[in-house]
Amino acid sequence: MEFLALVDISYLLLIFLGVALGIVFGAIPGLTATMALAVCLPLTYSFDLNHSLAFLLALYVGGISGGLVPAILLNLPGTPSSICTTFDGYPMTRNGEGERALKVGILSSLFGGLFSLIVLYLFAPVLSDIAIKFSYIEKFLIIFFALTVIASLCQNMLVGIFSGVLGILLSLVGVYDTIKGGNGAVRLITPGMEEMLYSGFALLPVLIGMFGVGAIFAEAELGIKEETEGAKFDLLSGKKFDLSAFKGSSVNLVRSSAIGTFVGMLPGVGGSAASVLAYTQEKNFSRDSSKMGKGAAQGVIASEASNNGLTGGALIPLLSLGIPGDATTAILIGAFTLQGVQVGPLFIAENIDTWNMMVLSMFLANVVMFVTMFFAIKHIAKVVTVPKYLLYPIIIMMCVSGAYAINYGIMFDVWTLLIFGLLGYVGTKLGLEVTPLIIGFILGSSAEIYFVKSIESFGNLTVFFTKSPIAMFLWLLIGVSVVFSIYSTKRAKCREQVAV
Amino acid sequence: MNTTGSGSIFSVVVDFDTSHLFFPTIILWLLGLLGLAILIQRGPAFYRAVASGERKLRFFEPEADKVRLFGTLGLMVIYFIGMDYVGRLFPNMGYGFWFVSIPFLFALSCLYAHGIDKRKLTYISLNALIAPTFAWFVLSELFNVTLP
Repeated sequence: MEFLALVDISYLLLIFLGVALGIVFGAIPGLTATMALAVCLPLTYSFDLNHSLAFLLALYVGGISGGLVPAILLNLPGTPSSICTTFDGYPMTRNGEGERALKVGILSSLFGGLFSLIVLYLFAPVLSDIAIKFSYIEKFLIIFFALTVIASLCQNMLVGIFSGVLGILLSLVGVYDTIKGGNGAVRLITPGMEEMLYSGFALLPVLIGMFGVGAIFAEAELGIKEETEGAKFDLLSGKKFDLSAFKGSSVNLVRSSAIGTFVGMLPGVGGSAASVLAYTQEKNFSRDSSKMGKGAAQGVIASEASNNGLTGGALIPLLSLGIPGDATTAILIGAFTLQGVQVGPLFIAENIDTWNMMVLSMFLANVVMFVTMFFAIKHIAKVVTVPKYLLYPIIIMMCVSGAYAINYGIMFDVWTLLIFGLLGYVGTKLGLEVTPLIIGFILGSSAEIYFVKSIESFGNLTVFFTKSPIAMFLWLLIGVSVVFSIYSTKRAKCREQVAV
Repeated sequence: MNTTGSGSIFSVVVDFDTSHLFFPTIILWLLGLLGLAILIQRGPAFYRAVASGERKLRFFEPEADKVRLFGTLGLMVIYFIGMDYVGRLFPNMGYGFWFVSIPFLFALSCLYAHGIDKRKLTYISLNALIAPTFAWFVLSELFNVTLP
């Protein structure tokens, strides 16, 4: 319990501030938890690692939770992971049960968040212990597996893999670092750009550009519509909340939280998949699903417990393997890099205080989220009407300050923000998948080291298949993810043909 | 390519002097092959759909707001250049960020707002003044974050 000595007033304030800001971001349609982390990251530059992580994790929890507010009140999911909350949440509001729906969602979010936190606390150290024994070959295969899983869950697996490989290529720009065992030569740089790109593209401007600026370009193309302008909702009248809304829903709560946690563990899958999966399961397995879609509390419970279950789950591969579970945790890697800490199998063992502080931060963030939202929901609900024409320029300004400051004042990092903002916008239009691209970018340089050093050591490609039973098992998993993707694509095609 | 085969077809030797090109070359080949596979998989169906008029070759949404889109891009480029220029006039003060963010926020908010009236203009002006000043004060003065 020595780590408790690290808790001070500023730590608690940062958690409160993070949760509040996260809720605001989550509650405004078009802004996401990922964007919240990207935009607020520069605020953490002068913090130590524990304070920085406390703030960012609180933003994460708040951002995911805040999405339920517009989903329930306006039928607009504040974040993609709240998509299924609209199915029953909005009908409840129309039936005069807005406050009840919000509080059911908030309580379910708390349960999902705490459930996943317990799984994180128990499971991440075990997985780390296993991963410590991995050689470069197994580490390379883990990255390969992560990319195939992400790609297999994309609309088109080939495009998903292409995006991931493109991300890897972009990460290789610049010097082959001698610190990592390279020869110190530069590659993939056009003449005249050597000075700017010597160290490659900085991670944070790339992330902020893709998720912050890219999203604003997409919104600008759609005309920055103020969907919430003039929106009015009455939370004072109608049916009040009581715990009877959860009667008969304990299985739903646990199952949905478990689904969210599991989906979070899969790299790059995202909260919307967790929400859809949990909602579908409740519809298929509940005793009475006839009211679902018409304003049943069980639908809100399934969606919100699962998307908050994601928060702890997504941290498991990040902290035990160094592989981000989703786009938001990918930004957390940026925070670790900033502090000179490498996440991976050794992280928990070597940074036990930081690990405990992270768990404590997640716990406190969930509690603060619950207290803030449960008792101040009537006031928080007004946030959804903040106009985008005021917010988006501020977001761009914050993105710029973050990009410029990351390497202590390099203007090229600001241009990187624009380049990758445009790449995110244009790439999405052309069908590229942003999440595999980002994960490929994050893991690319490690993949190179593991691959090249393995070949330098063994001089033979077969070693990737025969090195150990773990390597063989990983190949089996890679095969399963590819087969799963082919099977699900074929099934979707069959369904389309039947529908026609 | 500085790898040579020796022994079996699976044997690979990496030349340290050119080892920086070993992995990127593999990745470039892989990208090319994947691009080709995507073309083979989706190309014919896409071509048929375009030829029959079922699908249109277009990049922008049917009712794309090109003024706001290109306006955003243009303002950002001006913002970055302006910030760098002013920042050089007052090194290490963060004034480039502060002074140039004010007109940038004002211009971008005006571009994004629909049906500007007096009330909106007041909000936009106050926001353009307060937000950069607050951000500059918190980041540069309180947290010592480097700003242009």
